[in-house]
Amino acid sequence: MHSSIRSWFMMAVPVLLVGSLAVLAWIVRPHSELPAGREEVVFWHFWGGTDRAVVEGIVERFNESQEQYFVRAVAMPGNNLDMKMFLAVTGGDPPDLINQDDPIVADWAHRDALMPLDEIAPADEIEQLESWLFPAARQLGSYRGRLYGLCNGLDIRALYYNRTVIGQRTGRRAPLQLESIEQLDKLAAACVLREGDKLTSLGYLPDPRRLWAWGVVFGGRFINSEGEVTPDDPAIVRALEWMTRYRDKWGADTLAAFRQGDQSLPGKTFPLLAGRYAIVMDGQWRVRDIPADRSGEFGVWQLPAPAGRERGADGWVNGNLFLVPRGCRSPRGAWEFMKFWSGFGGHEAEAARTCSQGGWIPPSQQVVDQPRFQQYLRQNPLFARFVELAAGEQVPTPVIPAARMYYREVNRAAERALYTDNPGNAASLLEEAAEKVRRQMERVGSREETR
Amino acid sequence: MPDPGQPRSRRKLPAGWLFISPWLVGLLLLFAYPFFASLYWSFCRYDLLSSPEWIGTEHYRRIATEIWNGDGFGNALWNTLYYAAFSVPLSIITAVLLAVMLSWRIRGQAIFRTLFFLPSIIPLVASSILWLWLLDPQSGLVNHLLGWLGLPPQLWFQGVQQAGHPGTFLEFGSKDALVLMSVWGVGNFMLIYLAALGDIPPQLYEAAALDGAGRCRRFWHVTLPMLSPLILFNLVLGLIKSFQAFTQVYLVSEGTGEPVGSTLLLSLHLFLAAFQDLEMGYTSAMAWLLFIVLFITTALLFRSSRHWVHYRTSLGG
Repeated sequence: MHSSIRSWFMMAVPVLLVGSLAVLAWIVRPHSELPAGREEVVFWHFWGGTDRAVVEGIVERFNESQEQYFVRAVAMPGNNLDMKMFLAVTGGDPPDLINQDDPIVADWAHRDALMPLDEIAPADEIEQLESWLFPAARQLGSYRGRLYGLCNGLDIRALYYNRTVIGQRTGRRAPLQLESIEQLDKLAAACVLREGDKLTSLGYLPDPRRLWAWGVVFGGRFINSEGEVTPDDPAIVRALEWMTRYRDKWGADTLAAFRQGDQSLPGKTFPLLAGRYAIVMDGQWRVRDIPADRSGEFGVWQLPAPAGRERGADGWVNGNLFLVPRGCRSPRGAWEFMKFWSGFGGHEAEAARTCSQGGWIPPSQQVVDQPRFQQYLRQNPLFARFVELAAGEQVPTPVIPAARMYYREVNRAAERALYTDNPGNAASLLEEAAEKVRRQMERVGSREETR
Repeated sequence: MPDPGQPRSRRKLPAGWLFISPWLVGLLLLFAYPFFASLYWSFCRYDLLSSPEWIGTEHYRRIATEIWNGDGFGNALWNTLYYAAFSVPLSIITAVLLAVMLSWRIRGQAIFRTLFFLPSIIPLVASSILWLWLLDPQSGLVNHLLGWLGLPPQLWFQGVQQAGHPGTFLEFGSKDALVLMSVWGVGNFMLIYLAALGDIPPQLYEAAALDGAGRCRRFWHVTLPMLSPLILFNLVLGLIKSFQAFTQVYLVSEGTGEPVGSTLLLSLHLFLAAFQDLEMGYTSAMAWLLFIVLFITTALLFRSSRHWVHYRTSLGG
């Protein structure tokens, strides 16, 4: 009797377990919102907060405009979207489209994890797209002559300055445009504020991560025509030497302590608003951190070149790119959505609306020229300065495999130069970084030979 | 129909296998396979997207060079050893002292115990952000406290402590800040010691007191030896934990190991090599070296334990 009850019990437990799991799975099943006859396009992006609402708005408008495709946007705020995408490609279930702002195009294209756009769209359309884009937007998405990513927004850097602070501390009006690096140095020195021995506000302090911008403005290039990395380009070395003069003046520890938290947290912690600096280099996204009632206090300068030398470039640029992972289900759907968002193929007015809502710099002059965007620029003169600069010569991070390592090593060399007291000379630090990246590129290259 | 001739235990064998099968499958697929596969990959060039290519001991030679030059793996190893060498002993000493103090029968004992345990249940993400604010060189509370004590302000996470430049006396930098953060979370260790303290037979203290031992000598000759098995346990656990520290360094350095690679602990270096540089072979080689280092260190600790760990024998009666 007991044995029979036990047998029943032993059978009932697994049945109950499986049954409960089935019920649970039914309860939490994803509710498909895919309208009948439409093909789903899964889109991963990193936007959160107010930007996410803008993204959802674009997706909604696209879905309303379509009869063939239906985009499902998946927000993944944080900085590991590339890792998730990489694992999804490896696992054979990638999304149809992702948005990325890290310099990963070459790394992934080199490993065949991305689809070149000419595999998705006809050659003549890609040709038109290439001439439609700003040069910088085109370069950001190109690897070995093929377009792998479609830029949907550029990130441009310039110098923000506080007119009131400069006026008070120098006794003069802030200039409308900086003529030279030397003028920047003079202003920076004149705007220092102390309480006893303690520095409370600086005029300007170079950020090591901005060697990428100063290097090209000084006339250097981080890659040569043979595709070799050249952070030890004499002009880049000169730029780093100029940056280290600030260390020599204030001391490495003072600089390191002052730097804490700068330019990393959004909103009110923008160090320019807090009065920690009179001049700060940053991107166009900071414009919306400036409250409307204080916008008159601030201005934007283009990065100045050293006196007596020709400007090497207008600045350094990166941006957001749409990428289509190899192995996705709906590359055509992804292409249609990319065009709708970026404005290419007759969607310029739509893109102008999107860029005005998000405060993003369009990837093409044709979107900039749209009446809606022009109106936005008139209302936001600080932002308009960045858009003007976008059309100039902006140099992107080299699109090479190992680009992220390159970015890391150059930043580390610049940090060492600025934040340690006896780091060795700028040239040797940058040569060391170059050597590491060259070795890494050789490793990646030797892989290619055996492929 | 079960064969009545079979022993009962044999008849139950299939059911037994069936019941442990979820665990067994998990162990084989999620642990054993990656474990041994990574050993093979450590001798290959492998980026997950294409098939592994055998390159022999190239990764291990590269690691040896990096250790010699003090960059890459060498820098990360140095950082991790520095972190482990200070955080593990400091955490144990702090936990033992706190446990002893919290075992004193004073008013509000339960509140104090709760207060000191509380930090260990705060998520590491939240506490890391909190420490970033506390250790701000300009406006952080810790530097203010140091100022009140007449001590110089510190750079903490902005202090560049590289290999060969660990900072001088009374000069604390990024790695020291990490050590400080690790001491903040000693609540779990403390709880274990607290439980063990209540288990020490009072006769031992009475006998020591009769022999004229004061508080300090009773602590040194009775409390510590009786806690020594747990100290060994926490030492091994703490060591493994410090070699695997990731979340806090990822958060405080925004995933870069900066400034100047001074917070680049081994686990973060592995992560960057794997998922940014896509070097799974090199990462596997580093992971295996890390495993071997930990294995040898733990074995040495266990071997040394016969000289300093006192296991309790029955007191009789």
